[in-house]
Amino acid sequence: MKTISMSQRKKRETAIASAVFLAPALIVILVYIIYPIIQSFITSCYEWNGYSSNKVFIGLGNWAELMKDKTFWKAFLNNIKVMLLSIVIQMPIGLALATFLDRVGKKGTICKVIWFIPMLMSSVAIGFLFRYALDANTGFITAISHLFGGGKIDLLGNPQTVLYTVIGIIAWQFIPFYMVYYMAGYSSLPTDIHEAAMIDGATENQYFWKISLPLLKPSIKSAIVLSMVGSLKYFDLVYVMTGGGPSHSSELMATYMYTNAFSSYRMGYASAIASGMFILISCIAIVTMRLLNRGED
Amino acid sequence: MKTNDFRRIGKRVAAFSMAAMMLALSGCGGGNGSNDNGASSGKKKLTLWHIQTSTSADIIHEAAERFNANNSEYEVEVVDKVNDSYKSDLSLAINAGTMPDIFITWGGQTMYDYADEGLICNLTEYMNKDNYVNEFVEAGIAQCTYNDKIYAVPVENVSVAGFFYNTEVFDKYNLEEPKTIAELEKICDTLVENGVAPFALANATQWTGSMYFQYLATRYGGLEPFADAAAGTGTFENDAFVYAGEKIQEWVEKGYFCDGFNGMDDDAGQARMLLYNGDAAMDLMGSWFTSTVAGENQQFIDDGKLGFFPFPALETSTADQTYSLGTIGDNLYAVSSSCEAPEVAFEMIQYLLDETSQKERKYVGKIIPLKSFTSEDPVVNEILDSVNNAAGIQLWYDQYLPAEVAEVHKQTSQEIFGLTMTPQEANAALQDAMEAYNSKNA
Repeated sequence: MKTISMSQRKKRETAIASAVFLAPALIVILVYIIYPIIQSFITSCYEWNGYSSNKVFIGLGNWAELMKDKTFWKAFLNNIKVMLLSIVIQMPIGLALATFLDRVGKKGTICKVIWFIPMLMSSVAIGFLFRYALDANTGFITAISHLFGGGKIDLLGNPQTVLYTVIGIIAWQFIPFYMVYYMAGYSSLPTDIHEAAMIDGATENQYFWKISLPLLKPSIKSAIVLSMVGSLKYFDLVYVMTGGGPSHSSELMATYMYTNAFSSYRMGYASAIASGMFILISCIAIVTMRLLNRGED
Repeated sequence: MKTNDFRRIGKRVAAFSMAAMMLALSGCGGGNGSNDNGASSGKKKLTLWHIQTSTSADIIHEAAERFNANNSEYEVEVVDKVNDSYKSDLSLAINAGTMPDIFITWGGQTMYDYADEGLICNLTEYMNKDNYVNEFVEAGIAQCTYNDKIYAVPVENVSVAGFFYNTEVFDKYNLEEPKTIAELEKICDTLVENGVAPFALANATQWTGSMYFQYLATRYGGLEPFADAAAGTGTFENDAFVYAGEKIQEWVEKGYFCDGFNGMDDDAGQARMLLYNGDAAMDLMGSWFTSTVAGENQQFIDDGKLGFFPFPALETSTADQTYSLGTIGDNLYAVSSSCEAPEVAFEMIQYLLDETSQKERKYVGKIIPLKSFTSEDPVVNEILDSVNNAAGIQLWYDQYLPAEVAEVHKQTSQEIFGLTMTPQEANAALQDAMEAYNSKNA
């Protein structure tokens, strides 16, 4: 048994090499992702204001509070609304724009550039821009309403409309992303399929529904998962525009966590929210991936 | 054999990652950005965090330059921060062990917490040197004092809240500064009839609307209801708070506040815009308002359009009607205990109040909490008068209360404005939060 065969030796070398190459990524993941997640779960068992040396262990106290916290569940529901509406609004429009640009080719370059602009702006800048644009007294929506003899329109201060307004702006921000995403999908489709379909007498309409859409299915699937996870942990635009208000009506899980951690200084409870988010988002992502991949294997 | 190999490799990977983590952790603990030697000048660096904007920020930068020119050993780096994210930035810095050497805080519970945690230096000794402490307004020093020790220096501004108004609008409709709440309501009715919003309010910011709540409660019941409720000997379900909530909802229903107030951001100037162009008449705001306007729309002041009157009195109340809401000193400059040279840091703070700084602060309309301060500006004098006449000061609730309770107060006050909660529900929620806090910290 002392002698090692060539194949075994090779296996061992491969194993060492792969370990060496994987180590940097593994270390980064351990330090910056795994460790903080574990730390969040640990912190969630404490009553702690974030800077005090007085950290009181309260077991599952924060979790019990979280289960009963209406605001958290409202925020979760808001996240679900953002998620569903983002998929329903952003995916078809993004795909439509990409299809248009793919069809017109070079002539569409100007449209391509203009449509991509929202993606280049930071969420904070977009937030401020729309804050002024939607101002109930001086904003452009009110100005348009005045033109037609209507009154002032308050979208951001009204608990009924604020969430949908924000969802609209999020769509404005992210449609260009999915447009580019689907354009990349299109460019990976072989051009001879299009030619062959045309020779066989297919119309552009038939080609889109029967051929390119099924071929784009993998792109669409991953775009949906991307959009879903992005929506569930969405934060920046809502934080800048509404801070979750008024009356929590645009509160998302991430903004609620932020308020608890850095305005109320309830770091323990905020960690429970973060951990709760982690669990909920993981469950939803796993279920969706299962559903999307069903029937493929 | 195969499994053995993997186990060994696994161990190695584990060792690697442990080592890396240790490195990262020790990097965290040891790094103290504020004390790095300045590479260019060779001087040791002190950092200063403040939340002033525009001209007022320049004053601090200039004071730091004067300090740097006169000090051969230390150099101060001034970092501009934004008001609304300041507290979170600071708590992140405290966590990361990268606290600034000099930073602003407010009075009340937050400062007491910092003092209890040993995060800020006791400055009593430096303040007493050459009787420096006697130059300050007494109420200002009182605010910086905790357990008979002085923990900060009141520098920026005496800020008390009151109504700022557009004199042009008042003249147009022949309105006089009101002395009582009934008179104020009469003015509001006139304005509403003429299509002008009486109050400009941007309440996405929450603390803006909360001022109405605080003043109304103070007018109804004086200082005791709040002090008792915060101490746990009274309750937020007291009549004073019910009155405040009901009055606000009555005003909202009568259309006294500008449209869309709960979605507007005060830091973005959305309320002031309405006041400037005459779409709204009054803005209940802290006295820093004069310097904000000076930095943003000097023309408005030059044209004599900015007026001030203190919050009117409630005739039917037996409580003292002169109380002001606010703070003496506003931003209190503290020195962190991680600072390696507190004495030098204190010297830097004194530069913020040297003759040049005083002149510049006065020029932008600030009321410096020094006994020697006088003003030629009629608006500032009116504010000074209201402070001098005040039998006492009600410190802002959100500075007085512990952070988590303050957050609930701001939230429920916004709900009262949005008519999404009754005053009774809002006060009960606030009381619950206060009791929960008190029972945890008993």
